[in-house]
Amino acid sequence: MPENVPEPLPSADAVVALPASDAADGYQVRLEIFEGPLDLLLFLIRKKKIDIHDIPIAAITRDYLGYLDRKEQINLDREAEFLFIAALLIYIKSQMLLPRETDLAEQEDPRRVLINRLLEFQKIKAACSILRDREEDQLLQWKRNFLPPLPGESELDFTEVSLFDLAESFFLMMKRRTAADTRVIKGRDVSTEEKMKELLGLLRDGQVLDFLAYFATQESLEEALVSFFCLLELIKSRVAVAVQDELFQTIRVWLRKDARRAGHHE
Amino acid sequence: MSSPLKDILESLIFISQEPLTIDRMTAVLEGTPAEEVQAALDELIQGYAAAARGIQIVHTGGGYILSTHPDHDRWVRKLLQIERKNKLSSAALESLSSIAYHQPVTQAEISAIRGVDSTYTLKTLLDKKLIKIVGRKKAPGNPLVYRTSERFLQYFGLNSLDELPSEEEIGKILQEEKSSEG
Repeated sequence: MPENVPEPLPSADAVVALPASDAADGYQVRLEIFEGPLDLLLFLIRKKKIDIHDIPIAAITRDYLGYLDRKEQINLDREAEFLFIAALLIYIKSQMLLPRETDLAEQEDPRRVLINRLLEFQKIKAACSILRDREEDQLLQWKRNFLPPLPGESELDFTEVSLFDLAESFFLMMKRRTAADTRVIKGRDVSTEEKMKELLGLLRDGQVLDFLAYFATQESLEEALVSFFCLLELIKSRVAVAVQDELFQTIRVWLRKDARRAGHHE
Repeated sequence: MSSPLKDILESLIFISQEPLTIDRMTAVLEGTPAEEVQAALDELIQGYAAAARGIQIVHTGGGYILSTHPDHDRWVRKLLQIERKNKLSSAALESLSSIAYHQPVTQAEISAIRGVDSTYTLKTLLDKKLIKIVGRKKAPGNPLVYRTSERFLQYFGLNSLDELPSEEEIGKILQEEKSSEG
């Protein structure tokens, strides 16, 4: 969107308020921006009360290009796609102007392809408005199959990871370590109990543990393996939760709320 | 069986994180015919509806799950400290409905329906697990093929793709739009 949001144009019918439901939720009324070329075409067809099956291509093209020139109501990231449809309109018009020996049959109408696309798109848009209502209904009905988000990160959509995701991250991390080719001095033996205590301590203090970062701090393969088993154990006994925001990103681990409150899983 | 079937079902639905299907219920209740399970379930759902409670049993995603009453949304949000739930962007919804009606479908086909490039939007939908990749098309470039997911059905409270807005419903919307402009 351009920075200088334009004043409502003199042709006030171009100014469309958003659906009332949005406005009621505290949104400002703003100029409608046409996200795509088909949005704009459908708008023009409706505005001029044109029969979608019999579009006067020349008139529509003129209006369409007018909007493109002003650039105020089109999504500028999509300018190329708007121009593509402009070119298509002009091509259709040129096809219609070609002299022919016999009249065209209906299915040979050069507008056919565009009309079919518009009809289909119009259907999708109508389905969207129904689905939007359903979405709003559903969002009011809270179910237990979601995790309470972390404070301050409510916008993220968490998905609990599977054992395979965890294992994959682990091997990825080990691969990185191998690539680093560090010489490891054989250190002390690591016991599961100690590791478990260390992990729980970290989880309590830091609250959220970055899975990859944590393993990167492990001194030896043995130590890393023990930590990994401890982590799996914690998740299995439902003391900790592991969450990955996006594929191939790090996995974050934190204590379940009830475990934190009880605080005695040693 | 010592306790009534209805009460057992209530426990099963309560403890399920995902919508519980009739098949799963009958599998757990070995030997109980599916019709009996269905009858007990109907009774349970009606019981909830009649008593005007804070929770309800909803039929979604092909199964049954407990949810809070829609009227209590603001209190639940206050408890969870969530200002408002994010709705899908219009681009995401448009792509999603293109996929729903045309699946299995490729990125290029979705972009063609919408008239705009949909690569980024598809990525968002994949992240939200509302769509899934089901394979590749045997066509030049072997493009990925997308379908809507189980979560998609749940998100909109649908039980199967047959419950998507029908031709008639869509026709009605288009008619309303036409007349509202007249």
